[in-house]
Amino acid sequence: MASIADFARAPAPTYHMARPPKTGLMDWLTTVDHKKIGILYGLSGLFYLLVGGLEALLFRIQLAVPDNDFLTGEQFNGLVTMHATTMVFLAVMPIIAAISNYFIPLMIGARDVAFPRMNAFSFWTFLFGSLLLNSSFLFGGAPNAGWFGYAPLTGSQYSGSGIDFWWTGLAMLAISSMVAGVNFIVTILNMRAPGMTLMRMPVLVWMILVIQFLLAFSFPPITVGLILLGFDRTFGTVFYQVSMGGDPQLWQHLFWLFGHPEVYVLILPSMGIVSEILPVFTRRPLFGHHAVIFSGVAIGFMGFGVWGHHMFTVGMGPIADAAFASTTAIVGIPTGVKIFNWLGTLWGGKITFPTAMLFAVSFIPMFTIGGLSGVMHSSPPIDLQQHNSYFVVAHFHYVLVGGALQGLFAGVYFYLPKITGKLLSEKLGKVHFWVFLAGMNLTFFPQHFLGNHGMPRRIYTYPADAGWNTDNMLGTIGVILMATATLVMVYNILTSWKKGKPAGNDPWDASTLEWMTTSPPPVHNFDFTPVVLSERPLWDHKRTPGFEIPVPETSESIHMPSNSWRPMLISVCILLIMVGLLTHLWPLCIVAALGIVAGVYLWVTEPA
Amino acid sequence: MHTDAAPHRPSPSLATWLIACLSLLGAFALSGCDKPTRDVYQPVADSAEISAWFYHLVLAVDAVILAIVVTILVVAIVRFRKKPGDEELPPQSFGNMKMEVAWTVIPTLIVIGITVPTLGGIFELARKPDLNQKIIEVEVTGKQWWWEFDYAKEKLNTANELHVEVGTQVILNMTSADVIHSWWVPRIGGKRDANPGRRYPFYFRPYQVGTFDGQCAELCGASHALMGTRVIVHPKTGADSYEAWVAREQQQAQKPATPQQEAGQKVFMTKGCVACHTIRGVSELAVGARSRTSGPNLTHVGGRTSIAARTLPMTAQNIAKWVKNPQAVKQGALMTNLGLSDEEAAAVGAYLASLK
Amino acid sequence: MSVHAEAIEEGHGTGSLGVPNLKLAMWAFLGSECMFFGSLIGTYFFYHDHSLAGPLPKDVFSIGITSISTFLLLMSSLTMALGVDAMRRGKALRSRNFVWGTALLGLTFVGFQVFEFHHFVTEKGLTLATSLFGSSFYVMTGFHGAHVTVGVIWLSIVGWMIHKGHFGQEKAINVEVSGLYWHFVDIVWIVIFTFVYLLEFAK
Repeated sequence: MASIADFARAPAPTYHMARPPKTGLMDWLTTVDHKKIGILYGLSGLFYLLVGGLEALLFRIQLAVPDNDFLTGEQFNGLVTMHATTMVFLAVMPIIAAISNYFIPLMIGARDVAFPRMNAFSFWTFLFGSLLLNSSFLFGGAPNAGWFGYAPLTGSQYSGSGIDFWWTGLAMLAISSMVAGVNFIVTILNMRAPGMTLMRMPVLVWMILVIQFLLAFSFPPITVGLILLGFDRTFGTVFYQVSMGGDPQLWQHLFWLFGHPEVYVLILPSMGIVSEILPVFTRRPLFGHHAVIFSGVAIGFMGFGVWGHHMFTVGMGPIADAAFASTTAIVGIPTGVKIFNWLGTLWGGKITFPTAMLFAVSFIPMFTIGGLSGVMHSSPPIDLQQHNSYFVVAHFHYVLVGGALQGLFAGVYFYLPKITGKLLSEKLGKVHFWVFLAGMNLTFFPQHFLGNHGMPRRIYTYPADAGWNTDNMLGTIGVILMATATLVMVYNILTSWKKGKPAGNDPWDASTLEWMTTSPPPVHNFDFTPVVLSERPLWDHKRTPGFEIPVPETSESIHMPSNSWRPMLISVCILLIMVGLLTHLWPLCIVAALGIVAGVYLWVTEPA
Repeated sequence: MHTDAAPHRPSPSLATWLIACLSLLGAFALSGCDKPTRDVYQPVADSAEISAWFYHLVLAVDAVILAIVVTILVVAIVRFRKKPGDEELPPQSFGNMKMEVAWTVIPTLIVIGITVPTLGGIFELARKPDLNQKIIEVEVTGKQWWWEFDYAKEKLNTANELHVEVGTQVILNMTSADVIHSWWVPRIGGKRDANPGRRYPFYFRPYQVGTFDGQCAELCGASHALMGTRVIVHPKTGADSYEAWVAREQQQAQKPATPQQEAGQKVFMTKGCVACHTIRGVSELAVGARSRTSGPNLTHVGGRTSIAARTLPMTAQNIAKWVKNPQAVKQGALMTNLGLSDEEAAAVGAYLASLK
Repeated sequence: MSVHAEAIEEGHGTGSLGVPNLKLAMWAFLGSECMFFGSLIGTYFFYHDHSLAGPLPKDVFSIGITSISTFLLLMSSLTMALGVDAMRRGKALRSRNFVWGTALLGLTFVGFQVFEFHHFVTEKGLTLATSLFGSSFYVMTGFHGAHVTVGVIWLSIVGWMIHKGHFGQEKAINVEVSGLYWHFVDIVWIVIFTFVYLLEFAK
C-alpha cells in the first residue's frame, strides 16, 4: 500500500528567481511567500488577541462590582470600542488570514497565491492600519463611540480625535481586506492543482472562498460610510449633520450592510476548520460534504439580506421589520444543516480527543447556543427587549468566542505543527481547553440573565440594587480564567516551537494535500504538483488502491517570485495619506499620493 | 431558565473534568440569582407582555433543539470513542440524502412556525391605538444625558420620570436633541431609539400600578450609564391618581418658605441657572427649549424621586452636591459649573428640593 | 505542472477556470467597485432632495457641457476597445496610439469636471458644506473623477510600456485588463449622467 513516504522519492525542483533571495530581517520585511506572510498575520493576530483580551480584562474589573470607579465613563467607552474593534479586525480576522494564507495554497496544491506581492501589500496595509488605530491611545484618547460607531456620536461635535484614528485605521483595514479578497478569490478559483475540482476542495477552502466574496463585496459599503464620516469630520460635509437635514440612519444601513456579512466572515472559517478536523479524528469522511459546502455558500449569500435585524429598534416600520425578520430566521436553516452534519460525522466514527478535537467538538454546542439565541433576535418583539442588552452580548460572544475563536484555537492545535514542524504539548493544550471553556461559560452564560434583567450593554457602572451584582462578578472571574487559559496557549506555542516533539509530515493521519509535504513545507510547497483524484486525496493515496497520487521521476522547473520592497512602500504611502488627513497636512497627502503612483510604476516594471 | 446548558464531555483526566464541571456548575448555580428589579419577563404593560410571550415561545423551541443537539453529541462521544488498540477503520459513510432532506425540512418548518406568529407580533406592536379613547401622549426627547417629557395637551414639561395612568393607552413620540438614545424600561416594553431628526411612536398600555426603572440603551457618550429613567404608573383614582399628579404639575412653582430657600431662589435668578432652566412662575427665560444646552424644567423638581437622570436620590444635599460640581457626579455633564460656594449650593439645594 | 509554475508569474497563466488570473482578479475587483459606487450613488439618491438650502440640482447642472464631456468619455471607450483589439492582433504602435488617445480623452473629461466643480463653487455657491446635495454630489462625482484619474495614469503607463516594447502581443492581457477597468469607469459615468443629471430634467 502507498504511503506518504513515497513523496520523498520525487526529485527536488529546479528554481529560477529574478533576484537572489534575501535573508534574516530583510527577508521578512520584503517577503512575498504566502507562508511567511501567514506567519506574520498569525503573530500580529495573536498579539492583538492579547491586547483585546487585556482591554476586556480592564473593563471587566470595572464591572466586577456596582458603583465602581476604577475607570471613568470615557475610558470605559474607549476600552469597549477598542476591545471590539481589536478582536474583530485585528485578532480574529488576521488569524483567519494567517490560516488562509498559509494553508490555502497548500490545500489546493499551489505554489503560492495568485498575486504574491498584492498579498504582502495586504499584510502591510493591515499592520500599518492597526498601528494607526492603536496609536490613538497615545494621541488624545481611543475612539469611544462603540465598534459600530453610530453617527452622530462620531461627529466632531460629540467625539474627539479618537474617531479620526478609528475611521482612517478602519479605512486601511478595508483596503487590505478588499485586496486580499480579490487575491484569494483568484487563488482559489484559478490555482487549483490538476484534478482538484471545486467539489473536491476541502470545506475549509470553500468557506474561505465564501468569505473572500463577503470581504470583497461587503467592505465597500462601510468604506463609503467611513469616507462620508471622514469627509464630515475633515472637510465639513453634512452627511450625518442632523441640523442640515442629514440622517444618521444612513450610517447604520451602510455599516450593517457590511456588519452582518462581517459576522459570517468571522464564523465561516471556523466552521470550515471544524469540518476539516472532525473527519480526521473520527477516522471517516465528513458527513454530507456537499450539504456542508452548500449551506456555507447559502449563509454567505443570505448575509447580505439580513442587516436590518440590527435595526429593529430604530423605527424602520413594520413592513421592513417583517421582511428582515423573515430573512434572518431563514439563516437558521443552513446553520442547522451544518450542525447536524457535524453530529452525523461524529456518529459512528472512532473518535479520539487531542486538543484540536476537543475545541472542534466543543465548538458545536457552544455555537449552537449562540445560534439559538440568534433565532430569538430574528423576532422583533423579542429583539426589542434584547437589543443592546447583555443578552445580545452573551449571544454574539457565544458565536464569536464559543464559535469563531474556539474554531481558530482548534485550528492552532491542528495546523501549527505543519508550520513549526513541532507538536504542541497536549497536556498544556488540555489545560487551555478546559480552563477556557469554563471561563467562557462563566462569563457569558450569566450575561443572558443580565440582559433579561434589564442591563444595557456599554454602561460603565450600575447601581447595587438592580440585581446585577452576582452575574457581573461571575463574568469578571470568567474573564480571568479565559485570560489565564490564553496565556497557557501562548506559552505552549512558544515552548513547543523551540523544543516540541517533531511532528513529521502527517501527524494526524489526515486526508488533505497540506499534509503530504514536509513540516514546515519548503519554499515551493511541493516538490511536484500533485494530481488530485478524489475529495480525500491523501487518505485515498494511503488507503485506496488505484487512487495513489503519482510521483514523477523528473524534476520540475519552477519560477518563484522574488522578495520585493514595493508592497510595503505603497502601504507606507497609504499610511502617510491617512496621517495627512488626520493632521490636515495636505502636502503630505499629495506627496504620498505621488509616492503611490511611483510605487505602482516600480511595481509593474519590477521583474517578478 | 436556570437550565445547565453546558456540554459535558469526558476527558482523559478525571481531575480536569471535575474542576471544569464544578466551576461551570458553580457558575450556573449562582447565575441569575440576584433579585432583579427590571426583569423583562415580569411585564407590567401590554408591550412587554407581547415580547415575553414570543420569548417564551422561542425559548421552548430552542430548549428542545439544544437538548437534541447536546444529547446526540454526548451519546456520540461516549459511544463512539475509539477503544485502545482498535485500529480498524469505522464505516466510511459519506452522507445520507434522506437525512439531509430531513434536517433541512424540519428546521424550515420550525422557522415558519416561529416566523408566522412573529409577523403578527410585529404588526400588533405597531398598531395605532384608538384615538377616540383616553390617551396620554408624551413627546420624549433624549438629551445628553437626561430625558425630557413634554405633555403637550396637559401643557406640562418634566424630566426623567414619566407619569402615566394604569389602563390608559400611552403614546410616546421619541426623538433626540443630539445623538441617538434609546428609551428602555424593561417591564414596560422593548426599547425604542430616540433618533435626532426623526419622531417615532412607541405605544403601550400599563396594567400595573408602581414605579419601574429603566435607562438609555444606546451608547451616547461618557455618561451613557447615568442616563436613567423611571416610569410611575398611577392609579385611576385617589390622592395618588394620575389626574391629581397632572393638576399638581400644572400649578406654578411654590414660593420659598424659609430664608435659605429664599437665598436659593436668589442664587438661581442671579448666577446664570435661568439661562437653561425654567421654573414656571419664577423664570421662563431658558433659551432654546429643545436645544442641547437647555436643561430640565425645574418647576416641580422637588416632586421627583431622583436628580440628574436617576443618578442621585432627591435630597437637598444631593442637589447641592450636583450643582456644586456637576461633572464630578456625571462625567461630561453639559451643565455649567457655576463655581457656587458651599453655602450657595446648599441654598439652591434647599430651594429646589422644596419645589414639590 | 507548467500551468502552476507559470501561474505564479503575477497571474499571466490561465488557471483552473481557463481565465487568466489577472482578468479574473479584475472582474472580482470590479464587482467590489460596483458595491462601492452603488453605495455612493445610493447615498446621493437618499439625500439629493433632502437639502435644507439651495442651490438645487436643477439650478447648477448644465446639460450641454456635461453632454460634451460624457460624449468624450464614451468615445474613449471606443478608442480603448480599438487599442485592445490592435494589441490582440499584434499591432503594438497602433495600440499605443489608441491607449494614449484614450488617456487623453480621459484627461479632457477630468478637465471638464474640474471646470464644472470650479464653476459650481464660485458661480453657483455650491460647496461640500452647503447642503446634502452639495456633499453627496461632490463626493460621488469626485470619487468617480478620482477613478478616471487613476485610469488615465494607468493607461499612460500601459502606453509607455507598449512604447518601450515591454508589452507585446503575448502580454495583451495587460492592455485588456486596463480596458476592462476603463469601460467600467465609463459605465459608472453613464449611470451617473443618466440618473443624476438627465433625470433631474425629466421630472
